[in-house]
Amino acid sequence: MSIKSVMSALVIPRAIWHNASAFLSLGVLLLLWEGLAHYINIDGFPLASEALLQVPVILREREALISIGASLWRMFLGGALALMIAVPVGLTMGRNQRTAQALSPVLTLIYPIPKAALMPIIMLWFGIGDLSKVLVIFVGVSLPLIYHSYHGAQSVDEKLLWSAMAMGMKPVERLFRVVLPSALPEVLLGCRVGLAMALIVMIASEMIARQSGAGELLFNALDMALYTDVYAIIIILAGIGFLLDWVFERIRSRLVHWAEIRQDAVVPRGRA
Amino acid sequence: MANSIILIENLTKCFVTTDGRRHLAIDAVNVAVAEGEFVSILGPSGCGKSTLLYMVGGFVTPSSGQILVQGKLVTGPGPDRGPVFQEFALFPWKTVIENVMYGPVQQGMSRRDAREHAERLLDLVQLKKFADFYPKELSGGMRQRVAIARTLAYQPAILLMDEPFGALDAHTRTVLQNELLNIWERDRKTVLFVTHGVDEAVFLSDRVVVMTRAPGRVKAVIDIDLPRPRRRVDLLMNRQYQEYVIKLERLIEDVHLEETGP
Repeated sequence: MSIKSVMSALVIPRAIWHNASAFLSLGVLLLLWEGLAHYINIDGFPLASEALLQVPVILREREALISIGASLWRMFLGGALALMIAVPVGLTMGRNQRTAQALSPVLTLIYPIPKAALMPIIMLWFGIGDLSKVLVIFVGVSLPLIYHSYHGAQSVDEKLLWSAMAMGMKPVERLFRVVLPSALPEVLLGCRVGLAMALIVMIASEMIARQSGAGELLFNALDMALYTDVYAIIIILAGIGFLLDWVFERIRSRLVHWAEIRQDAVVPRGRA
Repeated sequence: MANSIILIENLTKCFVTTDGRRHLAIDAVNVAVAEGEFVSILGPSGCGKSTLLYMVGGFVTPSSGQILVQGKLVTGPGPDRGPVFQEFALFPWKTVIENVMYGPVQQGMSRRDAREHAERLLDLVQLKKFADFYPKELSGGMRQRVAIARTLAYQPAILLMDEPFGALDAHTRTVLQNELLNIWERDRKTVLFVTHGVDEAVFLSDRVVVMTRAPGRVKAVIDIDLPRPRRRVDLLMNRQYQEYVIKLERLIEDVHLEETGP
């Protein structure tokens, strides 16, 4: 066998290598956890293998599934509400200086506040039920969405808008048919940040106002000193986050594939 | 001119810069364009010739003076004036044919009719095969062809072309100049064409308006009395053509040498 053929056999396709390296780093992490837990050997730090084995046990409990479902449902509602309100607001700010000047100070003030810290106020007004949690998720998701929509709308090519105006397109229509698609790559970036934010705020809100949900599941396990369960629930939450991000990334690349086409993908022959 | 389709009267545009200074871009410009006429606005970069075109388009508001298009005061953009920009300004999220269909659909044509109409126009600019491509997949010359087709699609009475071939290489520019003239010969729409290329202006136009450096004023108006249909290769040896080019080159040279006014 020649050296060349051995070499080419050793070259692993990039896609496989990419996935393999992800699994590898995850594996190393779990091994470190396992070893460290063995070494430290306290109740609050169960073995990785124990926590992993507890995952299917929890997922088989009806109660747990209902809780997780309730959390995701609130997250979905808060996120949908944010999409419907924050995106148009951000886009309008990007195209209309007066709106931007009016809203910017308010947003700058709210931005650094941990959204969970708003929970007590929202609870005072709207009670400790679903509505408060949906609202606090809505606020958490809205800020990155407004921010990215605003920046996306600001950088829309003016000539695109002029072209649409010459065709007789009216302002509100332009916002949704020219500004929104133009800014879409940036808006979707905001959505991704918003998704992570939604997960964080979702758990935090359930920590403050206990009610059926994934966060409640987590803190109940903690209260009852079921440490293996605590770790298992965290693994489940990480899995949900990963899955949502993966699904989102699929949708995103479908929506903005036009922005990512490389010119060398096509070879125009003969014609200028 | 009594039957001018575009009448620019005493037009002035003054910008206020971010540090509060006033910048006079266009100063008391008068231009009249007859229906079916191909008029170029020639001037050095920064002379405000694009601003002038944007004001005719209704995209920029004049500081004083007025523009009448078909006898009506221009107060904003409208489908009677179709812009073609140097940067193409195609909708990148739409395919080539969807870009061309956009205007007609906006104007209430059914999608089916608009598609047929767009196909004819793409045929005209020789891009039928690229109907389902995205703008990013095309070369600069092809993109500008799509942009021209997109503007022609909603049948504006006037084409407003803002250095449309400025971003293209020399060869592509020549090819597109020829194509533009071929298209123009078919229905002789009124064209207002902004350029800084002397030979381009002479080759294409019935009349060339030469502008001074900022603040932009009309320096001279030269009638280009060359037979049509024109072909570039024929003109290169044409004595008259050469004289026009030399005359305009001299005017542009003067403009460059002149000190800007006090």
